[in-house]
Amino acid sequence: MDRNKQHRQVALMRQSLFDQGLLDEQFVQLEELQDDANPNFVEEVVTLFYRDSARLILNIDQALDKSPLDFAKLDGYMHQFKGSASSIGAKKVKSECTLFREYCKAGNGEGCKRTFQQLKKEYALLRKKLETYFQLARQVGPVETACRRI
Amino acid sequence: MEQPSKINNNEKSIQQGFSPSGCGDLISTRKFTALVVDNDPICQIIEKAILESQGVETQFVGSGIDALDLLVTGANFDIIIIAWVLPMMNGVETTRQVRAMGIRSKLLAVTACFDERKKKAFLDAGVDEFIEKPLNPKKVASIMREMKND
Repeated sequence: MDRNKQHRQVALMRQSLFDQGLLDEQFVQLEELQDDANPNFVEEVVTLFYRDSARLILNIDQALDKSPLDFAKLDGYMHQFKGSASSIGAKKVKSECTLFREYCKAGNGEGCKRTFQQLKKEYALLRKKLETYFQLARQVGPVETACRRI
Repeated sequence: MEQPSKINNNEKSIQQGFSPSGCGDLISTRKFTALVVDNDPICQIIEKAILESQGVETQFVGSGIDALDLLVTGANFDIIIIAWVLPMMNGVETTRQVRAMGIRSKLLAVTACFDERKKKAFLDAGVDEFIEKPLNPKKVASIMREMKND
C-alpha cells in the first residue's frame, strides 16, 4: 500500500475514534503536545493509563463483591478513575464513571454493578482500538494532525 | 531600542520584545513556575506536560504533605495546582494550609467531578479558580495570558 494510502487509513482510523464517541477534544489537545522531543507522548500516556487503572479496576471489582457495599469507598475509587480517564480524552469511559457515581450517591448497588460491567467493556474496547491505531501510526510514520475534524 | 510604530505588525513587535498592541509595553520574558499536587500519575504527567508546553517550569508531588514540605523550604511557585483527592490531607485542607503560610501563588483547584459544595469549599479555603478535570492547554494558556498581563 503506498504511503499516502497508509496515511489516509491512519487518519480515517483516528477519525472513527471520535465519530464513535470513544474520544473527545482532550485527546486532540494531548496530540498537540507532541513534538520532536516527545513524538509518542500520547501513546505513552495512554499506556500508562491502562497500566495504572488496572489497579483501580481490581479495587472496584473487589469492593463490589463485598456486602454491604461501601458506596463512599466505591465513589472514591471512581472519582480517581474518572480523573485519569477524562485526562486522556476517554469520552465513553468517562460517561460510565459519571453514571456509576450517580448510582453510588443513590445507594443503588445493582446500578453500580451494571454500570461497572459496561464501563469495563468500553475501557477494553477503547484499549483495543487505540492499540491498533498506535501500531498502524507507528508503522506509517508521523501523521499530520493538522486535520482536526472531530 | 527604537519604539515600534503603532502600525507594526504583530510578528515584528514580538521579535523586538514589544507587545503587539503597539503600546510599547515589554512582553514578559520571566520564567513561570508551577507545582502540581495530585497523586494520580496520569494527571501528574499530563498537567506537567501541558504547563511545560506553555513554558512553565513544573514539578509535581503526590500529596498535600509533600507540597507543604516543599513550600516550607522556601520553594516559590507562580502557580500551584491542587487536586481534591489527596492522601492523608485533602485538597481543601492543603489549600488552607498553603494560604496560612502566607503563600500568594495562583492556586487552581482541579477535580474530576464538579459539584457546588466542592467548589465552595475550595474557594473558601483560598483557591483562585476551580476547574473540572481535565486540565487542558487552552485553559492553561488563558491563565498564563492573564498572569503575564498582570
